Amino acid sequence: MRTGDIKELEILAQKSRRNVLRMIRANGSGHLGPAYSCIDIVTALYFHGMDVDPKNPEKADRDIFLLSAGHKGMAQYAVLAEAGFFDKSILDTFGQFKSPIPGHPDMHKLAGIEANTGSLGHGLNLACGIALARKQDGLKSRVFVITGDGELAEGSNWEAAAIAAHYGLDNLVLFVDHNGLQISGQTKDVMSFEPVADHFGGFGWKTKEIVGNDMKEIVSAFDAVPFEKGKPNLVVANTVKGKGFSKAENQVDYHYWKPSTEDMALAEKELAAKIAELEK
Amino acid sequence: MKYEMFDAKKIIGEVTLQEADANPNIVVVSTDSAPRTGMTGFITKYPNRYYELGIMEQGAVGVSSGLATAGKVPIFCAPAPFVTARPFEMFKIDIGYMQQNVKAIGRNCGFNYSDLGPTHYGLEDMALARLIPGVTVLAPIDASQLRGAMRAMLRHQGPVYLRIGTAPIPKIFEEEEFTIGKGQIVREGKDVAIITTGEIAVNVFEAAETLAAQGINAMVVAMPTVLPLDEAIIKKAAEATGRIVVVEEHYEVGGLGTAVCETCAKLAPVPVKRLGVPHVYLSAGPYIDLVKYCKLDPAGIVETVKEFTTQEK
Repeated sequence: MRTGDIKELEILAQKSRRNVLRMIRANGSGHLGPAYSCIDIVTALYFHGMDVDPKNPEKADRDIFLLSAGHKGMAQYAVLAEAGFFDKSILDTFGQFKSPIPGHPDMHKLAGIEANTGSLGHGLNLACGIALARKQDGLKSRVFVITGDGELAEGSNWEAAAIAAHYGLDNLVLFVDHNGLQISGQTKDVMSFEPVADHFGGFGWKTKEIVGNDMKEIVSAFDAVPFEKGKPNLVVANTVKGKGFSKAENQVDYHYWKPSTEDMALAEKELAAKIAELEK
Repeated sequence: MKYEMFDAKKIIGEVTLQEADANPNIVVVSTDSAPRTGMTGFITKYPNRYYELGIMEQGAVGVSSGLATAGKVPIFCAPAPFVTARPFEMFKIDIGYMQQNVKAIGRNCGFNYSDLGPTHYGLEDMALARLIPGVTVLAPIDASQLRGAMRAMLRHQGPVYLRIGTAPIPKIFEEEEFTIGKGQIVREGKDVAIITTGEIAVNVFEAAETLAAQGINAMVVAMPTVLPLDEAIIKKAAEATGRIVVVEEHYEVGGLGTAVCETCAKLAPVPVKRLGVPHVYLSAGPYIDLVKYCKLDPAGIVETVKEFTTQEK
């Protein structure tokens, strides 16, 4: 299932975006902007970067992905479905009572989900614990985390930043989905943690900055892990919120989207055209 | 009655080390707190299974949960308010909602830090922990129960919060076997039932003897597990005596007293008197003065029970 073919990964990312639209159609609404912002990274995680097996999702030495920004959960569901972790018909249950794919991920409901996230500022500390245990057990597997950039205002992240550096967790990779927008406006205006790389670098992390919707750059970042032996890895992924639907791109109003029939049709049409173009 | 006294921290450390010898997955997480929880022996013997994080409780709970994801059995030990109140939301989600196999020890609970005042009192820890579904809450009463509870906790699959003081703890019971979820009738009686938890229980035992000498025959029920609650024993006590006093070194709000009221309302409605710490910010001072002020000393318990048992039902 793993591939380094950029075009193949791009197609998978667009198909995953299509799965997001399917969930929003089923529920009538959802966090479109955040999901589309990070979905290229999530696609590369499951189809390139991570050692995971949809047929054996709990194998002891697997790589682990924690979506700390749990409100981007549709991105993970979309990619898990594309990767064969569950039947795509489950996408149509999004938003229903007792659905295995609730708005925020629940590890007890779906194979492949490793933590109950959604409340911000939890994932990175959990990841530190897993990374410590993996090292203690002499396993080479790695832990990947995605946080939002607005999420960095949660102080718990900075506790984790210190832990990861103190213990030299080079098996931990954090992607900050740096789309620059949060509900109240631009992240740099709401509460600035710029430059993000410098903050983590100050704690002792090794950092990289990439265009987070460019599959080639994402794959290159994965392939460079660990960036430096003995240091945790940070990728500041400069992304576009809502990337993949023209009306949503860089628009904070599409953070949580309740689409009109016309907008949904337009989003689906744009995606179909992109997939067709890539598959030529 | 005079009891042999033990160091609670030493017991915690000894049992941890014994269990860790048998279970290589046991690890210890510290927020500048484990050495003072009796863990020095563990740290010396198993330095690679000891994670010192410095003073950061949110991080410690998250890291503990992550360690559990990877199959470890982490013990996070620190003063009670810093295990429960400070990182409450992490406890709720990373341990509770995720149902992780994390063992949290809240030491210096109640008034243990009597000279420091409300910042360091652990008077709402049971209330907070028992609000989280699926978390087992233990409050052993004596040295034997502490040993038993530590062993039971470390062998139990699932999240556990154990509260304990760190003052010298008496050995009251011989039996060290500890069954999670079971209360124990320590003294039979028909006039009133006194239900108690934690180390303050020793004052209840003394009060019960004084009451007996004054003609009030109190049933005494020890409740070292607060969640899951032994509702059957509460029902039995209510039906046998018709009125209950709950004694605990915890706010009267939210702890065992509240849990007993909830159970009685459901299964056996009888009058219940909660004798705990009033829901205010009590000044710092000598431990014994605080206990007396709250009427949690033997004389205060006797006075409260006598007053309650002479009231009309």
